[in-house]
Amino acid sequence: MELVINGVKQELAAKTIEEVIAHFGLTGKPVVVEADGAVLTQEQWTATEVREGMKIELVHFVGGG
Amino acid sequence: MKPDVWHIGNHELTSRFFIGTGLFPSPYVQREAIEASGAEVLTFAIRRINLEATEDDSILQHLQGKSYQYLPNTSGASTAEEAVRIARLARASGLSDWIKVEISANDRTLLPDPIETLKATEILVKEGFTVLPYTSDDPVICKRLEEAGAAAVMPGAAPIGTGLGILNPYNLGLIVEEAKVPIIVDAGLGSVSDVTQAMELGVAGVLMNTPVAKAKDPAGMARAMRLGIEAGRLAYLSGRISKKRYASASSGYEEFKLK
Repeated sequence: MELVINGVKQELAAKTIEEVIAHFGLTGKPVVVEADGAVLTQEQWTATEVREGMKIELVHFVGGG
Repeated sequence: MKPDVWHIGNHELTSRFFIGTGLFPSPYVQREAIEASGAEVLTFAIRRINLEATEDDSILQHLQGKSYQYLPNTSGASTAEEAVRIARLARASGLSDWIKVEISANDRTLLPDPIETLKATEILVKEGFTVLPYTSDDPVICKRLEEAGAAAVMPGAAPIGTGLGILNPYNLGLIVEEAKVPIIVDAGLGSVSDVTQAMELGVAGVLMNTPVAKAKDPAGMARAMRLGIEAGRLAYLSGRISKKRYASASSGYEEFKLK
């Protein structure tokens, strides 16, 4: 399935957000997910199914002032 | 002397130093500097994960084992809408519901857009965030932000990262006099004398990143800044003398002068 992750088109076999996170080796890391403009809590990851063309943002805390 | 504690919302603080986590030469130096600063509040930014290098882990892993209040910022936003989006992402981390609203209107100066900042503050307060807006050193906009429900207001001393110090101490003094919420000077400070001056003006705290992170010895500078903050705060509480145009002798006993 084609997804747009952090602005880049990617072909992934993942069915849920949880699987997208696992695909990138981010399981257990402090990641925040936005899917098609909706911010998801971690509890929603397994229940949220991905769909063709979904825009997913994977963000985290970085150094800043 | 009773401890000089203060509050943001219901959160009690003893340190008056908020420290930013950008630009440090290494995570080790950063941790040393944070410890030396005595800071209880750390700021962060929110960015996309680099999916090409996810083993390059988050900054948070280097801070484990200590409990800090996290203050994520909305840097990168140029509108209220973008800032609100970043704030919601930051809160979904489950790490903090504090947010530093930072909306830059100009790439060269990074000066805040006060109108968008006010809009974002109104929205985020309604959504239950603890909102600390970074804004211009204008007494009227600072008051408006307070009225909108900001938990603290953070006027800039000078543009971000310039180290120019307090460009308008008169305004900053007015802002402090009028405020019912803590005023924190954010951005533009460069030296210990700058932070001491800010604290002498009566601000509740200061937020710094570049002057510590880019110092030759960040941990040394963090400690120096901490002491400067303490000195300035104590001076503010103790009350400085008023300025006089002419000399007045400190020895007294005028009539017992040797003749």
